[in-house]
Amino acid sequence: MDLVTKIIVICAVSALAIFALWRTGAKDATAPQQLPYLGGGTPDTHAWQRYHVRYYSMTLLFIAFEMEMMFMYPWAVVFVEEGGKAMMEMGMFLAILSIGIVYAWREGVFRWQ
Amino acid sequence: MAVSALKRWAGKAPASVFVAIGEGMRERVERLFADPRIERAATPRHAAIFLIAGPMRLEDREDLRRLHDQMPHPRATLLWAAEVGEALGDAEKLNFTLQPADTSRADEAALDRLTRIWAELSDGERPSEPDLLHDEPPNPWQGIGPHGQGGKGMMGGTPYGRPMAMTADDLRDGLALDPYTARFGPFLPMFPPGLLLEMTLQGDVIQSAKVLRPPLPQAARDDASAALLRLARLLDLLGLPVLGHRARLAAAGDRPSSTLETLGRAIRWSGSTLAIRPGLGAVEGQGDLRTRFDDLLAVTGGSSAETRPELPESAHLSSLLPGLEWSEAMLVLNSFDDETLSALAVVKEDEDKDGHDHEGSGYMHHEHHGHGGHQGDGGHDHHAGHGGGA
Amino acid sequence: MTTFLAALLLILFLSVGFAGAAVADRAIPAFLAGQTAPSWRLSLADAVRLLQTQRIRTEAPDALLWWLAPALYLALAIVGLAVIPFGQDLVAIPSEVGIVVWGSCEALTIVAVFMFGWSANAPLALIGAYRYVAIGLPAMLLSMFVLIGAALPAESLGFIEIVEAQRTVWNVVRQPAGLILFLMLGLAISLRGPFDYASPEDLAGGVTADVSGPGLLAWKIARLTMLVSVSAVTATAFLGGYLGPILPGFVWLLLKTAVVLLVLIWAGSVFARMPPARMMSVIWTMLLPLSFLMLLVVGVELLLWG
Repeated sequence: MDLVTKIIVICAVSALAIFALWRTGAKDATAPQQLPYLGGGTPDTHAWQRYHVRYYSMTLLFIAFEMEMMFMYPWAVVFVEEGGKAMMEMGMFLAILSIGIVYAWREGVFRWQ
Repeated sequence: MAVSALKRWAGKAPASVFVAIGEGMRERVERLFADPRIERAATPRHAAIFLIAGPMRLEDREDLRRLHDQMPHPRATLLWAAEVGEALGDAEKLNFTLQPADTSRADEAALDRLTRIWAELSDGERPSEPDLLHDEPPNPWQGIGPHGQGGKGMMGGTPYGRPMAMTADDLRDGLALDPYTARFGPFLPMFPPGLLLEMTLQGDVIQSAKVLRPPLPQAARDDASAALLRLARLLDLLGLPVLGHRARLAAAGDRPSSTLETLGRAIRWSGSTLAIRPGLGAVEGQGDLRTRFDDLLAVTGGSSAETRPELPESAHLSSLLPGLEWSEAMLVLNSFDDETLSALAVVKEDEDKDGHDHEGSGYMHHEHHGHGGHQGDGGHDHHAGHGGGA
Repeated sequence: MTTFLAALLLILFLSVGFAGAAVADRAIPAFLAGQTAPSWRLSLADAVRLLQTQRIRTEAPDALLWWLAPALYLALAIVGLAVIPFGQDLVAIPSEVGIVVWGSCEALTIVAVFMFGWSANAPLALIGAYRYVAIGLPAMLLSMFVLIGAALPAESLGFIEIVEAQRTVWNVVRQPAGLILFLMLGLAISLRGPFDYASPEDLAGGVTADVSGPGLLAWKIARLTMLVSVSAVTATAFLGGYLGPILPGFVWLLLKTAVVLLVLIWAGSVFARMPPARMMSVIWTMLLPLSFLMLLVVGVELLLWG
C-alpha cells in the first residue's frame, strides 16, 4: 500500500470510530435544551455572523512565510551538498522576510485590530 | 450485564456538578469543590447535577430554569439552602441553619448528598428530571426561502427561530461587521455570581456593556482567606487551575507560612504578571489589574490585604469593560473585592428604560405562577428583600 | 511483513501511550496541586459517565462538521504517529518526506479545532475557535523552522534519516532552544495550559462549552491522542527516537515519549496563559526570530564541522 492509501485507511477508521461514538448519545434535544450556553442569559441573534477576525492582517504575513516553507523543504535536503552558497541564499531570504516582520510590527499587525 | 457493569463504572467517577451560587455562598461553595469526590463543571453541558446554593432573587429563577434545561440527561437538581419557590419543580432540598460553628458539618452533609444523588443517578435508580420549560422554539420560524433567510433585505426573517445579526461599526477600527448582543450571566462560572450583563461584542472585543442585575451580595470579609480565594479565581482564568486549587486549599485550612511561600514562588515563576498587560482595568484609587494582582500575591508573603480608598463616583462597569478583549474583561471582573465590585456594578436607572425590549426573543414561559408574577429579566425591582444575608 | 509488524507496533504504541497519557493527565495536576494521587480508574469511570450521557445538539448546528472535527483531529494524530519509525526499518507509513506529512497534520489540526468551535453555533465556542487560529498559525510556522533545523544534518526530510543522523549527537544538543520551541507547539496542538486558546476557563470551556456526553468524550480522546503523537515526534526529532543501547528501539521510543509527555503535562499546569493578542505578538516578534537563529546556528555548525 502506498502512502495515500494508508492515510485514507487511517482517516476512514477514525471517522467510523468517532461516528459510532457520536451516535451513542444521540437523543432528540428539546428546544430549551438547544439554547446556546450563556450562563442563563439569552442571545438576540444566531452566533454565526460576519465575525470580526481581529488578526486578519497577520494572516497575510503568514501566507508569505507559508510559501517560504515550500522553498525550504528541498533546500534542507541539499544544504550540506551545496554548503556556503545555500547558506547565503537562505540567509538573504530570511533576512528579507525578517524585515517584513519588523515592518508588520511597526504597522501594528500583531495587535488585535 | 454489560450495561450494569458500565453503570457501576460511571458511579465511580466524581460527581460533575454545575453550580449556581446564591447570596453569601460563594466562598463556601468554592471551598466545597476542593473535595475530590465532586468536580465543578464549567457549563451545564458537562454536568450531571445542578447545585443551587443559597438564596436567589426572584428574577434569577427564569435563568435557573433555562440552565436546568440545558443539562444533558441523566440529570438531577439539589437546592442547598436555596429558596426558589416552585421554579425548579420538586427538586431535592437540603437546608441548614447558618450557624458559623456548623459550617463544616453542613458542608459535609452537602457533599454526602451530592455523592448520593450521583450514585443513584448513575445507577438508574433516580429518574432523570424532565424539562421545566416548554418545548418550543424561541421565535416562530419566519422568512422566505428554504432556510428562512429571506424577508426584508438579506437579513430579515428568523431562520431556526432566531434572527441573524445586522452590521454595526466597530469601536476600534470602524469596520462595519456583525455585532453579537446577548445577556451574559447571571451564572457564568467566570462571572461574579448573579451579575447579568447585556453586552455587545464584535469579534471578541466588548463594544458596550450594561448591568441588568448586580452581583449577589457575598459575606463581606476582608481577610487573608477571602484574598486567597480571589487570587485563586484570577489564577484559574490565567490557565493555572493547579495553582488556583492550591490557593483554595490554603484559604480553607490553616496555612503554615512555608506553604504560602511556595505558592507565592510558583505563581511568580508561572509568568502570570507577564500575562497581564500594564494599565489594564485601571480604576482611580484602585490601581490597574497588575497592582491588584500583586496586592493579592503579597498576601501569600504574609502581608494583610490592603484597603483601597473609595471609588470615584464615575467608575462603572459600563465604562470599564467596553474596548476590552474578552479574556482581559474576565480578569478585570474578577480582580475587585466584593464591595468594590457591587459599587462598580450598580444598575443605572437611566439605562433601564430601554432595558426590557430584548427579552421577547428569549424563552418566556410561566408554567409556575407560584413565584409572584415577576418579569423574568430586568433586574431593578428586586433586591430590597435581601439585606445582610449570611 | 515489516510493514505489518510496524502497523501492529503502531496500535500497541497508541494504546500504551494513550492509557499512560490518560492517567498522567489526572495524576500530574493532582500531584502539583498537592492532592493525593487519584486512582487510575477515575479516567475510565469519567469516560463511561460521558458515554452514558445524552449528547445535546444546539440550535441549528453544523451537524456534519461537528462530528467530523474530532474524527479529523484523531486521524491527524494517528497519521502523525504512523510516520514515526519504531526501528531502523519499522515504520507503518514509510515516507521520505515524513516531516512534510507531519507538518500538514499540524496545519490541519487548526482546521479541526476551528471546525469544532464553529459547528455549535454558540458564542463562547465561536470565540474560542477564532482565537485558536490566531495562535495556531504562527505556532505552526515556528515548529516547521525548528524541524527543518533537525532535517539539515540528516540531508533528508524522512524521520528514519533524521534519527540515524543523531547517532553521533542528538539534535537537542544542536538546537536546545529548538526543543523548547517545539514543546510549545506540542502544547498548542494538544490544547494545553499556556497555549490552550481554544478551550480556556475564561470562555467556560470554549470550543467544548456546548458539547456534552459522547461528543465531549470523542474530543477528549482525540486531544489525548494528539498529545501522544506530538510527544513521539519530539522524541524522534530531538531525542534520538528509537536509538539506545540494549533495549529494543520500540521500548526506547516509548520511554523517551513518556518523558516528553510528562514534561508537556507539567508545563501545561505551571505556566500562565497570556492574552491572545500578546501571545501572537510574542510568537512573531520574539520566538520566530529565535527559530531563524537556531537554524543559522545549526547551518554554521554543519558547514564548519559537518
